[in-house]
Amino acid sequence: MAQFQSYNKLLISAEEGIENYGLNGKILGWQFRCQYPSYRGTYLSCIHSMEVYLDGERVPDGDILFYLNGKEFLLSEFPDLYKEYWFILDKAVVRVQKDGGLPAGSSHRLLVKMKHLIPYTGYFGNYLVLDGSNEKMLTVAEKEEAVL
Amino acid sequence: MSDIRLSLTLYALSAEYTTGRFTLEDCLRKAAQMGYTGIEMVASQMVPEYPYPSRAWMDHFKELLAKYDLHPVCYSAYIDMGTHADRDLSEAEIVESTRADLEYASYMGFDIVRTQHAISPKIYRQMLPYAAKVGVPLTIEMHHPHNPTVPVWQEYLRIMKEEPEYSGVVPDFSIFAEHPHKLEKIQAVEDFGCRPEMVEEITARHTAGDSEEEMLQGDYTVPEKNYVKELFETYGDGHAHLEWLNEVLPYTRYIHGKFWYLDEDEIDRTIPCDKLLPLIKKAGYSGYMASEYEGHHFSETLNSCEQLQRWVNMSRRILASC
Repeated sequence: MAQFQSYNKLLISAEEGIENYGLNGKILGWQFRCQYPSYRGTYLSCIHSMEVYLDGERVPDGDILFYLNGKEFLLSEFPDLYKEYWFILDKAVVRVQKDGGLPAGSSHRLLVKMKHLIPYTGYFGNYLVLDGSNEKMLTVAEKEEAVL
Repeated sequence: MSDIRLSLTLYALSAEYTTGRFTLEDCLRKAAQMGYTGIEMVASQMVPEYPYPSRAWMDHFKELLAKYDLHPVCYSAYIDMGTHADRDLSEAEIVESTRADLEYASYMGFDIVRTQHAISPKIYRQMLPYAAKVGVPLTIEMHHPHNPTVPVWQEYLRIMKEEPEYSGVVPDFSIFAEHPHKLEKIQAVEDFGCRPEMVEEITARHTAGDSEEEMLQGDYTVPEKNYVKELFETYGDGHAHLEWLNEVLPYTRYIHGKFWYLDEDEIDRTIPCDKLLPLIKKAGYSGYMASEYEGHHFSETLNSCEQLQRWVNMSRRILASC
């Protein structure tokens, strides 16, 4: 239970925080950046679930787009992504589609939970499945990101 | 005549590396500054294109090693059995990834590949001719909760005895851990809600030899009982089986000097290095022994280099006096 615990802070990057993103002057949603919570990378197929909560409210999985390795993924695609490696230093962009995004300058409590399997820990036939979570208070940046 | 050299597994700098405080080059520069002559690399941690490192990246890595005069000792590979959501890796997939790891390690000039027990005795034996072909021994790490008495390890040790040229074991000091370390006790309180005085009491009772059954009947909260279970899972009865060294040293090509926390007095109270290192030296082991700091799983704010320096000082002190 104790191993990996301190890596959970990587789930939300404080450096970029929350940003709105959009196109042609229209804000299409908000986003944050996320590193895999471990010392090494993993395959996206090992991530069993990723839950995003804003101010205590669960964001529907279907509103979330996950950008990594120059590609866009749905959370529901993860079980099939056994050749998609998430390098430990790469920050995935997690986008939440929401017209108008979030008010610039407003503060929010962002919570990310990730259930993930450590693929190599089958010492006696069982895999270690971790429930990682991290919560941060973040302010929405003024800047408007373009579509990737 | 024993000749024990110290290497650094870059994994020891995981806290600095994953948070961007150290780049790969910073890790290598630190290793050289701290006096290490060799390094170990966990490929799945350091290679941006993992599991398929490009020739350009490997050439860049070799240039960095030359720049800091560091010897590539160990390429750490994984058997990621659980990669697929619906099944374990097939034999063909394990063979393919191991073949690739041996080739990459050979290209970068590593002495050995360290793989994991999940390779299976059958595939391990099957891969040894390929290790010979590329000129890189294929070794297996023996890590807690495994030890030489585990049936699969009896098979591995038999294979290593029968085919010694390109096989070998990498014992990890976690198999000799006796007592919880400071970071674990802090985590039990701060992250899991145990009462500090109960963590101390449980730790003292474990050291004194109370049984797990007796302790679970104590007046403890659920997280405190989990702490009891963790102590027995990780540290057994608190007495290292030093005799296990005799079983692994004949086949040992590299050693993982695992540790979690050392205080300013530079004494490891979790792993009995004061007993292990003299036995290793007396047995005539020659080769690298890695400093494998693992406190980063418990705290990302401790200064890893300071911890490493304490461990190096301790090891040199013990080795010089025996």
